[in-house]
Amino acid sequence: MTEAINQENAILEVKEWKEALPGQSADEVVIALSPAFGTQLKKSIIEIDLGTILKELCAGIEEEGMKPRFIKVFNSTDLAIIASQGSRLSGSGICVGMQSRGTTVIHQRDLVPLDNLELFPQAPLYDEKIYRKIGRNAAKYAKGENPEPVEILNDYMVPSKYLIKSTLMHFKEGEMMDKSKKAMDMEVVF
Amino acid sequence: MKRSKRFEKLEQMPINKDGFAYEWEEVGLVCMESPFDPKPSLKIENGVIVEMDGKERKDFDSLDKFIADYGIDVSYAEEAMAMDSLEIARMLVDIHVPREKIVKICCASSPAKVTEIMNHLNVVEMMMAQMKMRARKRPANQAHATNLDDNPVLLCADAAEEATRGFAELETTCALARYAPLNAIALMLGAQTGRAGTLNQCSMEEATELELGMRGFTSYAETLSVYGTETVLIDGGDTAYSKAFLASAYASRGIKIRFTSGTGSEVLMGSAEGRSMLYLEVRCLFLTKACGVQGIQNGSINAIPLVAALPNGFRAMAAECLIASMLNIEVASGNDTAFTHSDFRRGSKLMMQFMPGTDFVTSGYGGIPNFDNVFAGSNEDCDDYDDWYTLQRDMKVDGGIVPVKEEDALAARNKAARIIQCVFAELGLPEITDEEVEAATYAYSYKDMPPRNKAEDMKAATTMMDKGTNGFDIVRILYENGFEEVAHRLMEMLKQRVIGDYLHTSAIFDEEFRVISAVNDRNDYMGPGTGYRLSDERWARLKEKYSALKPKDI
Repeated sequence: MTEAINQENAILEVKEWKEALPGQSADEVVIALSPAFGTQLKKSIIEIDLGTILKELCAGIEEEGMKPRFIKVFNSTDLAIIASQGSRLSGSGICVGMQSRGTTVIHQRDLVPLDNLELFPQAPLYDEKIYRKIGRNAAKYAKGENPEPVEILNDYMVPSKYLIKSTLMHFKEGEMMDKSKKAMDMEVVF
Repeated sequence: MKRSKRFEKLEQMPINKDGFAYEWEEVGLVCMESPFDPKPSLKIENGVIVEMDGKERKDFDSLDKFIADYGIDVSYAEEAMAMDSLEIARMLVDIHVPREKIVKICCASSPAKVTEIMNHLNVVEMMMAQMKMRARKRPANQAHATNLDDNPVLLCADAAEEATRGFAELETTCALARYAPLNAIALMLGAQTGRAGTLNQCSMEEATELELGMRGFTSYAETLSVYGTETVLIDGGDTAYSKAFLASAYASRGIKIRFTSGTGSEVLMGSAEGRSMLYLEVRCLFLTKACGVQGIQNGSINAIPLVAALPNGFRAMAAECLIASMLNIEVASGNDTAFTHSDFRRGSKLMMQFMPGTDFVTSGYGGIPNFDNVFAGSNEDCDDYDDWYTLQRDMKVDGGIVPVKEEDALAARNKAARIIQCVFAELGLPEITDEEVEAATYAYSYKDMPPRNKAEDMKAATTMMDKGTNGFDIVRILYENGFEEVAHRLMEMLKQRVIGDYLHTSAIFDEEFRVISAVNDRNDYMGPGTGYRLSDERWARLKEKYSALKPKDI
């Protein structure tokens, strides 16, 4: 059984630690964050605390006996590029890429950037439970397993409700983008 | 304030669940007529463009340079640029000015010039111009077929029903990327079962999509995205040259392609350089032209909820589709993305392309329930068929599809499901049971299908690709297992790549595999009595309403 994580305890602080180098440990799953994640933007598009989301991802990864490693990508706001960089830095070759709005992808090192193992494009539909499942599946891929994919959620009215907010959040990511800055290992304090 | 009961009720109406915003010109949150758009200019020295839209050649970014060097007919540019934009706008709605004359002017103009022409037109004038400027005389339509579970049996049956309804092109994609080869094959089998000559595509990451085409599992591609600012194009890992190269890769294998663009995509991706959405879209259209690509999918597409949130949204989208036609490019004119809670509003948006007709009135009518649409929902879905048919009947307009009888749809669905069952068995893919065939024949959505083991399906798809399976293998399987007719159709689709005639602008096939394109079915509209007119035979099919009262019934 997994215990629910209390949202109020998940106050997030994301600090740059050192330049990210390719991981040597086969049991690590990289979580690659977008430029404004946890710094300029603290909540997802549906106001879930980003700390809560990261805790759920980590819990999912750890339940499968693997270790999360946080990096941040600065030279792109494009989720495909962020995740593909993360997967190439990941010791296991597996990366969960995330934008601040909550859009998420599971990526693998040998895939081209726009390909993926599983994509979660409709951020407004994902609750904490989904993020834990994403973490769990990422860890399973890292162990070489072929897991049943996380369920696909779809609501075709999501864009008409959220696209403007999503655009404004993306502006924030763009403001923090730095083309010349390399990916950094991050220290995440909950 | 004491509330008005009428205002309270109005607030609850579907339209007020949509998002709306005011313009913000500085960041490019503006559809058209932005004060920050450049003023038109072209200066040519020794056949080379040295200034375009107020920017000198030394200041060109890579997109400007590509457009200036390959996208504009400099031999006529001085005459075209010297013409008053208002005068050109009037020529667009003047039935005595032939389409060719306007194409010549626009292909020799700068992007800002073409944008300026649009600013003079209201929406009815744009619709009038669209009717005249569409490249192919006969309009057509495209459908989406997807489902949330990537269930291949259901997908194949849905494709067969859509092809039976007369869609000229079918498009699929995947909820899970690793399903791509299975989805592509399912769509192809369904398409040729439903109607010979139906084109099919599987929208995926570019390398995968190209490989599916090269294997013979798809016959065209559409989602080669281009953007109107260098920043966004490069952020997506592209340059103008990489797109042109990809386009050539398809052409070299005899596979039809069009690019995809659309108003709002640049601002959505965070870098509009302070230009209007329409101006940036015009740059995309010139880039398409410069790459030598025959067509475009536009009309905002994914960014439509953003474009429609702003003033002039529908007008800008009508303008971008029209401009594609003015540049003699095939246009698959959007109407393929859910953007509003209001049926009134989505129907009105559709009418702007439905009534004049475009090469593809929608670039994806959802022939499935919208909740099963992995493209995040279309503007129309399978519950809207009778609305669509009735509007064709009401207005005597050809929206590209025809009514079908339930028994005919079921027969096509069942045959397609049995065909994919056979192909899966022969290719050594996970079994498709008789129960699944039966379910797919009668299904409404993925919820009616017995669940499949997705992990096993995806693993088998990868193994199949590793083995090098291609379109000919499937032709042979069908031929050896009693499905000769569909085998011949698939074989014909493969042969057409060698012939290459369907790479011409706006090409589709009829049921005899005859190409219908802007070359042999040229739009010659010059006012009443000219251009596309419904034949008696076609009209008889379009006005069919099975439930309608017949004089002999009384």
